[in-house]
Amino acid sequence: TPGPGNAQKPLYLCSPFADAALVVGNFKTIVMQPKHVDVLEWVAVNIFDFYQNLNLFYGVLAECCTQQSCPTMSAGPQLNYTWINQDRKSVQLPAPTYIDYVMTWVQNLLDDENVFPTRSGREFPPNFPSTVKHVYRQLLRVFAHLYHAHYPQILHLRSEPHFNSLFAHFLAFGKEYQLLDMKDVQGQPGSPVGIGALYDKWKDKGILSA
Amino acid sequence: SSSKEKPADYVYFERTTAGFSDDAVPRAKAAQLKLEHFYKVAVDAAIERNTRRVELERKLAADTTMSDERKQRHLIQLGKRESAFLRLRRTKLGLDDFRTVKVIGKGAFGEVRVVQKSDTGKIYAMKTLRKEEMLKKDQLAHVRAERDVLAESNSPWVVQLYYSFQDPTYLYLIMEFLPGGDLMTMLIKYDTFSEDVTRFYIAECVLAIEAVHKLGFIHRDIKPDNILIDKDGHIKLSDFGLSTGFHKQHDSSYYQRLLESANGATSPTSAARNSVMVNAIHLTMSNKDQIATWKANRRKLAYSTVGTPDYIAPEIFLQKGYGNECDWWSLGAIMFECLVGYPPFCSESTHDTYQKIIHWQTYLIFPDDVHLSREAEDIIRRLITSPERRLNVDQIKHHPFFYGVNWGSIRTIEAPFVPRLRSITDTSYFPTDELEQVPEEPTGGDASAANKDLAFLGYTFKRFTISSHAF
Ligand SMILES: Nc1ncnc2c1ncn2[C@@H]1O[C@H](COP(=O)(O)OP(=O)(O)OP(=O)(O)O)[C@@H](O)[C@H]1O
Repeated sequence: TPGPGNAQKPLYLCSPFADAALVVGNFKTIVMQPKHVDVLEWVAVNIFDFYQNLNLFYGVLAECCTQQSCPTMSAGPQLNYTWINQDRKSVQLPAPTYIDYVMTWVQNLLDDENVFPTRSGREFPPNFPSTVKHVYRQLLRVFAHLYHAHYPQILHLRSEPHFNSLFAHFLAFGKEYQLLDMKDVQGQPGSPVGIGALYDKWKDKGILSA
Repeated sequence: SSSKEKPADYVYFERTTAGFSDDAVPRAKAAQLKLEHFYKVAVDAAIERNTRRVELERKLAADTTMSDERKQRHLIQLGKRESAFLRLRRTKLGLDDFRTVKVIGKGAFGEVRVVQKSDTGKIYAMKTLRKEEMLKKDQLAHVRAERDVLAESNSPWVVQLYYSFQDPTYLYLIMEFLPGGDLMTMLIKYDTFSEDVTRFYIAECVLAIEAVHKLGFIHRDIKPDNILIDKDGHIKLSDFGLSTGFHKQHDSSYYQRLLESANGATSPTSAARNSVMVNAIHLTMSNKDQIATWKANRRKLAYSTVGTPDYIAPEIFLQKGYGNECDWWSLGAIMFECLVGYPPFCSESTHDTYQKIIHWQTYLIFPDDVHLSREAEDIIRRLITSPERRLNVDQIKHHPFFYGVNWGSIRTIEAPFVPRLRSITDTSYFPTDELEQVPEEPTGGDASAANKDLAFLGYTFKRFTISSHAF
């Protein structure tokens, strides 16, 4: 039985789930830029992999993330992300719609030879760093929603060691390449992001280096 | 009890899959396996990348004659290759990127075609393997072995694998195209070889088999059809369909477990646990663990009976386990065929061949009407013999039959038959007219049960040395 004070605490912050991990040790091994290797190439392939892996898990959880269960793109008790539509208006979307927009948008960028070049000799565009920052921010929101709204389902499917490690790797990578904005992790004073507390917890435990 | 050690925020969570659709559990399992595979590969890649760099840096540091500027250029080149490799990982290749030039061969699970990569115009050999057939015949582990041997080697004696991909129906291997055909086709054409010609091919085979053994593999299926001829007339080994490595993933039972666990067969004890047990992947640069597991498994002997029997050593049939000596028996049988014109135990039926091989003492007969030198007959008799008495690689190299062979430079001398090729896609050394019923283009595939794909996990492969091959 949960002890006193745990009633409100989200499961992803509780033992043993917060510590469950597929990957143990220092993420530096797989995060740090390999010597002599082009940093843009390194960031590009990692973003590519994060997208694929996140998509893999979202594909499993999608059946639980519906218009009914998630009428908004929530990421904390007081936090709903809004989508900026074509008219530059920010609109509330159901989470599955929001995530579908994000994933489609990222997939299109990854497939766009002008943004993520794959042919040999082709350069990355000058605005590549800012594009990647955008992508990172939106993927972070998808993680944030899955932690906030679907963690029990992740537990039912026994995927928490995997999902935690993927997210910890994502955070470690974002930190190393300045893609991670602490505002996006912590949220606003009145509307914190759920995963902000997880970030702090992992930092305290040394899962993420300070 | 142990609850004392539990932290204050310890929570028991009742896990159930009641609210999920039927395929949620297998899909979740598949996602987990894929992620495990992803991190294993990521760690291995980091180690290998690091090794390549350290090796180059060490080599450059030891070179006292090279200027610093040139050394720097070498490092930049390495960085470019590594970057190109990372880029390749984002590049999706599929059937559409290749155009068939000609069907050149047929195997148990599919065909071999000469193909041209549309954008670069480069020529490759593409082998297709039907997943369904392989699942039926329990050949998965073997295919994985084939991929690994080809992929791990940079050896000039092994056909290079550049790329592999899959669709729901087929696996595709994109390999270097060897335009000279194979030794079987050559033996059909010439019937027998002189001892000098035989010495050349067998000596090259000795080095090729040695190279495979050094990679930690036993080929187990060396036969003339797997000895391919390159554009200069030198040989390379192909078809590791039956070779067995010592990696965990080459074990058929490993795949069986994989498929079972994906089907949701979790044991009751694990279902009752509050925390999920995983084999954690350690982010460590040391490959000591890898070497240790490899060494531990190395002693493990392989058991299995598969393939065309003519060249297979008796100990393989006898199921008592065997080591890489079995490949030297095969070489003895091939050498016999080169000089005599047929393999030593060939019979009307495979059953008879098995019998003759097991009773080789009775059935190894050198015909009166073919003259063999004393040395040639002697080495054959020392290869086609019991595993304890069979020559090892050093004894083979020092046998009088190979007197005068320069083992260090044989690949650079002129071969006895150099293919005469009119173009890079010349297929005149292949029996293409016998393959007319095979469709020109592979049909690609659709729809097969999702979990079948699992066993082919990790199959998609991209070679490191891309820069020179311009993928
Ligand atoms: N890389 C290559 N370059 C040129 N020809 C090749 C290449 N790979 C295979 N072939 C040709 O295709 C034939 C069949 O290939 P292979 O032996 O690999 O098929 P297989 O499916 O393993 O057949 P089996 O299992 O019956 O030996 C070979 O004998 C050879 O003639």
